[in-house]
Amino acid sequence: MRSAGRDWAVAVSVTGILAASVSSLAAPQQRPPASAAPTFETAVKPLLQNVCSDCHNSQSASGGFDATVFLAPASLASQREGWDAILRKLRAGEMPPQGVPHPQAQIDALVKYVQGELDKADRNVKPDPGRVTAHRLNRNEYANTIRDLLDVDFRAQKDFPTDDSGEGFDNIGDILTISPVLMEKYMAAAERIASRAIAADPLPKPVAVEYANKDRRIRRVDASTIEATHRVDFDGEYNVRFELPGQRAADAKPVMLDLWMDGKLISSKMVETKPSGLVYFDPYSEEEMRVLLPEGDHVFRAGFINDDFVKGLGPKQVYDKKSNKYLDGIVFEGPFKPKAEPPSRARVLICDPKSGPACVEKIVANLARHAYRRPVTQTEIAELVKFVGLAEAHGQSVEQGIQLALQAMLVSPNFLFRIEHDPNPTDPAAVHNISGVELASRLSYFLWSSMPDDELLSLGESGKLRTPAVLDAQVKRMLDDPRSSALADNFAAQWLETRNLDVVKPDPQKFPDWNPELREAMRSETNLFFNYVLRQNRPMADFLDARYTFLNERLAKLYGIEGVTGPEFRKVDLTTDQRGGVLSQAAVLTVSSYSLRTSVVIRGKYVLQEILGTPPSPPPVTPPPLDEAAEGTSASLRQQMEVHRADPTCASCHSKMDPLGFGLENYDAIGKWRTMDGKFPVDATGTLPNGKTFSSPGEMRAALVSALPQFARCVVEKLMIYALGRGIAPSDGRTIDGIVGRLAAQGYPFQTAIYEIVRSAPFQMRRGELVETKNVKEVAQK
Amino acid sequence: MTITRKTLHRRSFLRGMGAAIGLPLLDAMVPALAIGQARAVKAPLRMAFAYVPNGIIMNEWNPAYEGKLGELPRVLKPMEPHRDDILMLGNLTHNTGRALLDGAGDHGRCSGSYLTGIQVKKTTVDIKAGVSCDQIVAKHLADQTRFPSLEVGMEDARQAGDCDSGYSCAYTNNLSWKSETQPLPPILDPRSLFERLFGNGVILSPEARAREADYRRSILDFVGEDTKRLEASLGPTDRRKLDEYLTSIREVERQIERTETANAQIDPHMEKPYGIPADFAEHFKLMTDMITIAFQADLTRVVTFLITREGTSRPYREIGIADGHHPCTHHQGKPELIEKVTQINTYHTTQLSAWVDKLKSTPEGGARLLDNMMLVYGAGLSDGNRHLHEDLPTLMIGNAAGAIKTGRRVVYRKETPMCNLHLAMMDRMGVHMEHFGDATGELSFAELT
Repeated sequence: MRSAGRDWAVAVSVTGILAASVSSLAAPQQRPPASAAPTFETAVKPLLQNVCSDCHNSQSASGGFDATVFLAPASLASQREGWDAILRKLRAGEMPPQGVPHPQAQIDALVKYVQGELDKADRNVKPDPGRVTAHRLNRNEYANTIRDLLDVDFRAQKDFPTDDSGEGFDNIGDILTISPVLMEKYMAAAERIASRAIAADPLPKPVAVEYANKDRRIRRVDASTIEATHRVDFDGEYNVRFELPGQRAADAKPVMLDLWMDGKLISSKMVETKPSGLVYFDPYSEEEMRVLLPEGDHVFRAGFINDDFVKGLGPKQVYDKKSNKYLDGIVFEGPFKPKAEPPSRARVLICDPKSGPACVEKIVANLARHAYRRPVTQTEIAELVKFVGLAEAHGQSVEQGIQLALQAMLVSPNFLFRIEHDPNPTDPAAVHNISGVELASRLSYFLWSSMPDDELLSLGESGKLRTPAVLDAQVKRMLDDPRSSALADNFAAQWLETRNLDVVKPDPQKFPDWNPELREAMRSETNLFFNYVLRQNRPMADFLDARYTFLNERLAKLYGIEGVTGPEFRKVDLTTDQRGGVLSQAAVLTVSSYSLRTSVVIRGKYVLQEILGTPPSPPPVTPPPLDEAAEGTSASLRQQMEVHRADPTCASCHSKMDPLGFGLENYDAIGKWRTMDGKFPVDATGTLPNGKTFSSPGEMRAALVSALPQFARCVVEKLMIYALGRGIAPSDGRTIDGIVGRLAAQGYPFQTAIYEIVRSAPFQMRRGELVETKNVKEVAQK
Repeated sequence: MTITRKTLHRRSFLRGMGAAIGLPLLDAMVPALAIGQARAVKAPLRMAFAYVPNGIIMNEWNPAYEGKLGELPRVLKPMEPHRDDILMLGNLTHNTGRALLDGAGDHGRCSGSYLTGIQVKKTTVDIKAGVSCDQIVAKHLADQTRFPSLEVGMEDARQAGDCDSGYSCAYTNNLSWKSETQPLPPILDPRSLFERLFGNGVILSPEARAREADYRRSILDFVGEDTKRLEASLGPTDRRKLDEYLTSIREVERQIERTETANAQIDPHMEKPYGIPADFAEHFKLMTDMITIAFQADLTRVVTFLITREGTSRPYREIGIADGHHPCTHHQGKPELIEKVTQINTYHTTQLSAWVDKLKSTPEGGARLLDNMMLVYGAGLSDGNRHLHEDLPTLMIGNAAGAIKTGRRVVYRKETPMCNLHLAMMDRMGVHMEHFGDATGELSFAELT
């Protein structure tokens, strides 16, 4: 069988020679002189035949790859994806593997020749920008769009079902479906949002909701602070009452009582703590604040600030009424009508609707243009204005009519979907620029996860946005805008998987440091770090190894870094090589661990997938599982993991994954530095897929920096998926190559990746859908 | 996500539930429900699936005997009080959960195929399963109840990264599929489920309610027209997206109609829950309490309950297990890990048992609510350590108004398709299908009695 494969390869190569000889009729018999231009025969075939095909042949296509398929020049066109993969593996140094001859000069020659041929071929091919499926706004985009459209704070994350994700992101058009449940939610949300924006509906009778320690409804954050999650049912003013049992010493000073909502201070008040002299047996007092609260679920925290008094108390005295006055409950009473109108009213009612139909039409047209993110037609306006008539027919006011029209807009497909139109929707050869307003929306949902603002929308409408200088200027303006922090919240938190901080559950016994504050601190560090690299246009190498990070006291303590005090985050210079870059950040290390222990497999896979862009193939059907649970107890983890190397099926991937995971073993399952794992010392030696070895996390980072081109490509691909809302197709390869090449030439400044994606054909163009073939293929599969 | 989760105001909630249990809601609603057919209404039949992931310790699940149920193995011990109401089904297999030619990803695959009977497409982008059996029934009964079906769950979806070896998270996040590309996400938050079933608590006057209904209808008409205008210039994939949108719109329309005919706001006699309880049992109780009320009040007849997701690594600190569920199930025969999985399995059946208690103590037309139900409790894997897809642990609870003889264990021929059960259940629910998934025929209920 083996020889048959060889024969076939030879047969192919004969045709290759024939083809080659046609073009060089002059001296077919002579060997070409050494200086002759390389050909497929001289630059490609020898390496494939002599080195690669030993493992990659038609009998044992290791890794599902058969090199003999690539022995003819025609394969450059017919096996394009395969060739792209070969070049990637060779460039990354992953192939040929260790233990196999590695003729670097031949490899370089092959890469250069093949790349040249592919480029030549590409120059003659019409570019394929791909096609993005109509894209439903996901939860974050919905919430941000409502904020920017109406100035209403709506928590879609709380009210809508989770959006499914694909390719690691939750903004993929094909995956974002609509279910009846979601439609109900959209209907209900539209009703509430429109009502809140116009604020013309009467408020219900006030009610009081109590959160008290006796009912286990508050969380004691520390001796001076309590926390409760409360759903505010209506926008309005509320009386917030604080329950304060106990009393302090006769000479105790008053303290400052602060109230925060979702991490923001909303009100403060000085509070007396010494005995009042009125009640002796069961001292108790209440304090009250009147505050304006937005509808939705909010986390409220109340605390005494700079409360030195409790520092002198033992743990039992803190909640003893005789020795301390402490926060024990919080009551929300309301809603009451606010003194001022909400800002959304001015945003919507741009003239006085009672002045007549002209103004009503103006209001509706303005709202629709922004909600649909494009110019609206007279017919559309007329249809919407009918709702005002309908409300009036039911005896409601003109304002309530506008509210109803707004409600209708918010469930229209024109609002809920980003739809791009094709002149020829079913002709895949019909490549065309997307319209100006479509481009404006692509840009705003990429950089802001929200709708275009007025400036961007107007440039889209006038068509000026497509001018390269104008487009670049808009990208700059938008990156400088605070809204671009959406890239940290939505791109980075999914790329680095730190969104999973919400679902991971480190064991509180084994990791007593773990609590909601630490979790939020971890999230903040990675978020601030990403924002800094983005805003400061730092080199992308900073992601792999940076001499700075962002810490507050709690996180600095976890890292063992001194001199950082207080809850605020600040930029901190790193003086040792224990930390640096995202792979040493607690958020990343926590989401890539189990609840009780680290996992070299998960972390190794993480590095391959999120950093190097070469996710391992899925495990065999029935993985022989490893005993990671016994880590640090019976045999060292490394000894156990050697099992992975013993079985060749496992070895092909685990020989790449495990050594990367070991490089991070100095960090425990919540990212704390350690030198011992149970009773065994941590051994952090390992190897990168390109063969570079390391013996500590610091050295591993340095080795990763040497693979910067590969990392940059990985990030560009992920950014591209996120920017387009679709998976990467082979036809995007050239665009990505070009972007990575230009990034390299400039030293990989991060913002350039964003500018380049925006300038690219896949971002600015689309084509019709390939219909027939796709269906035929599906039928054939069945 | 919230920083902490508010615990429920438990005492007042329990008080509320006490009242609800005592009140046969369906009976109370009859006058409003059906003018002319009042009292003659026969209690409807309901179908529910409750799913647990990562397989079960089968040694502790399967009794050594067939026929009449006597003493039950450890995992099923909590169900002993209900053994007269259980039919244990042995040897049911989901061949489509197996790799066939698709390689790794048993968790993603078995979850995707559990109710669809389809070998789902291995993809992270363009998902494709099939219409699930619960949705076939839901469509058939759509004009009978306010909600054709309810999808309920307890575990928040993973939000980043992939779920299982090249399978989209959509396969593990959802059990019910309305079309081959449209999964139905489960409701996880008790408040959200409460508001869906019983409204937001604001009681409207009849005039205001009529006005709201008129508004909603006009809005739905309007967006329907909008969609038609859009569709003209779209390619097939985009059009499919808008079709999903239109289907959902129509369903909301039907709900509005149903609400008007029923003309009643249901008072669940329970306090609106706030937040997701951190405690598993408390969350389970809330969700199943509401499912029970929804059945009782005939708000729906079809429920899927994804207790936790396939592949979940949730620890069970409630019973002192700090390791994740999934890593434990790859126990390699180690007794201490098998013990932990057994405890998790048993903890689940303990919650189930409490739910069945409630279904039995809820009266309906002189019988018990459970008597008009088919509640299937099961998993998409039997042995989670080895990812086995045969002899799936399956309980049929309730006797479908006397159609199923319970109190027994029946072991079928090896490799009997799980889809045979689906086919039989759909038949009981009034949907007569020739084929479903890889079914070879109905699991005959006649044979079972």
